[in-house]
Amino acid sequence: MRAPRGLSRLLLAARGWGRLGAMARYSTEQRGRPNSPDYRLYFKNADGKYISPFHDIPLLAASKEDKEIPAKRAKTTGSEVLYNMIVEVPRWTNAKMEIATEEPLNPIKQDIKKGKLRYVANIFPHKGYIWNYGALPQTWEDPNHTDTITGCCGDNDPIDVCEIGSKVRSSGEIVQVKVLGVLALVDEGETDWKIIAISVDDPEAHKIHDIDDVKKHKPGYLEATVDWFRLYKVPDDKPENRFAFNGEFKDKDFAAEIIKSTHEHWKALLHKKADGGTINCTNVLVSGSPFCCSEEDARSIVQSAPVHVNGGSVSPEVIIKVFWRCIIKS
Amino acid sequence: MRGAAAAMSGFSVEERAAPHSAEYRLFFKDAAGRYISPFHDIPIYADAGKNVFNMVVEVPRWTNAKMEIATKEPLNPIKQDVKKGKLRYVANVFPHKGYIWNYGAIPQTWEDPGHKDENTGCCGDNDPIDVCEIGSKVCSRGEVIRVKVLGTLALIDEGETDWKIIAINVEDPEADSYNDINDVRRMKPGYLEATVDWFRRYKVPDGKPENQFAFNEEFKDKDFAVNVIKSTHEHWKALIAKKTDGGEINCTNLTVSDSPFCCGQDCAKATVDAAPPCKAANPIPPEVDKWFYYEKN
Repeated sequence: MRAPRGLSRLLLAARGWGRLGAMARYSTEQRGRPNSPDYRLYFKNADGKYISPFHDIPLLAASKEDKEIPAKRAKTTGSEVLYNMIVEVPRWTNAKMEIATEEPLNPIKQDIKKGKLRYVANIFPHKGYIWNYGALPQTWEDPNHTDTITGCCGDNDPIDVCEIGSKVRSSGEIVQVKVLGVLALVDEGETDWKIIAISVDDPEAHKIHDIDDVKKHKPGYLEATVDWFRLYKVPDDKPENRFAFNGEFKDKDFAAEIIKSTHEHWKALLHKKADGGTINCTNVLVSGSPFCCSEEDARSIVQSAPVHVNGGSVSPEVIIKVFWRCIIKS
Repeated sequence: MRGAAAAMSGFSVEERAAPHSAEYRLFFKDAAGRYISPFHDIPIYADAGKNVFNMVVEVPRWTNAKMEIATKEPLNPIKQDVKKGKLRYVANVFPHKGYIWNYGAIPQTWEDPGHKDENTGCCGDNDPIDVCEIGSKVCSRGEVIRVKVLGTLALIDEGETDWKIIAINVEDPEADSYNDINDVRRMKPGYLEATVDWFRRYKVPDGKPENQFAFNEEFKDKDFAVNVIKSTHEHWKALIAKKTDGGEINCTNLTVSDSPFCCGQDCAKATVDAAPPCKAANPIPPEVDKWFYYEKN
């Protein structure tokens, strides 16, 4: 995600800077070896400062904090609120990449379970993740708070997003999305809302504004989404997951309320009004946060990570299963 | 990966030009490093007595590039199909991603376009017989594997007979449990249905109609499938002996000694040497990632 130079930058500005603003504003820096436990993807803002994607990227795209977006940009989207989404897992891949909530500057890394790099199984007919998957920055599902709807505590992570546009994104990409709805997953007994969203740049974004539009234009996708979340841990010998609302998707207004609430939890966390446990709240841009650190401190954090080494391919011992559902004979 | 493939089957490949380009070619070599045709020089049988066949993998599972044996070129390398001047990539028809099996062909077989199949009522599609390999390993392009045949689907693709053999890699950890088509139903529920669905709809995003099938879309069993393969092998024998007119099919081969098309290694080498040198792959266009949604009828 490098900022475009010279002529292309001018052309982008002429086309409407705001839309492509997200891409130009953030970049990533790899450390360690891909497909290994020491791999990290750190984030930088447009000024080249190291930042935390969890805490230092604004939740709202084209918000007051987003000084680079010209005022007229907000008008073109009318009443549709745009959020920044951090892509962790590209569609159709299996490596479980996530924001490291417990590490300073919260780089993206691959989850490790039982000492091994984690790869999500292929739940037939699905191949890997079936959307670009990631998180909304500046949100937090508080584990000390029992959600009134699910009756469960938060999963201690930023809120998750399934981005349903056609383009396969890259890990670490920041995408401006429209929120369409939300699924209330209860994953291993914890509240784990799944926001359904679409990139504002998607060729069909102009037709898709709410959850019913997804049913209309992508029939079967929402059903597949429930199916996926219900089964995805069964290959690891965990039980099927459950949902609130019988697995129904709630609409965009409902989703916006959920996001707002997780944003409030995050604000409390960053201002030390909620107990984050092992969450690392180090940030560079959240004014008034007791966890704010300097540019130099941020730089030393990144520089203490192992140097980036090329060409880590997936180890041959890694066999990503295709999981077949059993026929239940009555 | 290529070295490992050679150890298993004895065959290896040599890439020319950049993958995902019109000039890309994947040539084949035998265990002694001699250039051969994957269409004519790889034996149909790995073990005739056990109905174990050789299969040439053209398209690895979950990929989209429509790679095929170039039946009209000398030495029949694998290349990417071009339609209307553009490199062809198969669409992702939701919920499927690319091809849902390792896909390829059985060597020394030919679906004769001059012959009307009594089951389908249609003429052959002028290609070696196609195989969908259902094992868990994602194979490499050009890999030659040994497969147990389990059954077959009678696709009628744009009005031509296009049998799809269902098979499993003998090296699959569960291969011993697969001996006939019912084993696929039992062990991989939904896979055969998905296969029919895939073949029915895969050309619809390109503006073509849904395909049809003989036998009410039913899969026929192993014995039936083996007979179909044997019959396409007979057609191939007639082709390679010049008893049937193959039209533009290139029958140049290195090992079918009584074939009028048999040639020497010098000739083969000249063909390969004329191809551009191997280069890094071109990126796949992002449009290939689009997922197409259709209501099932």
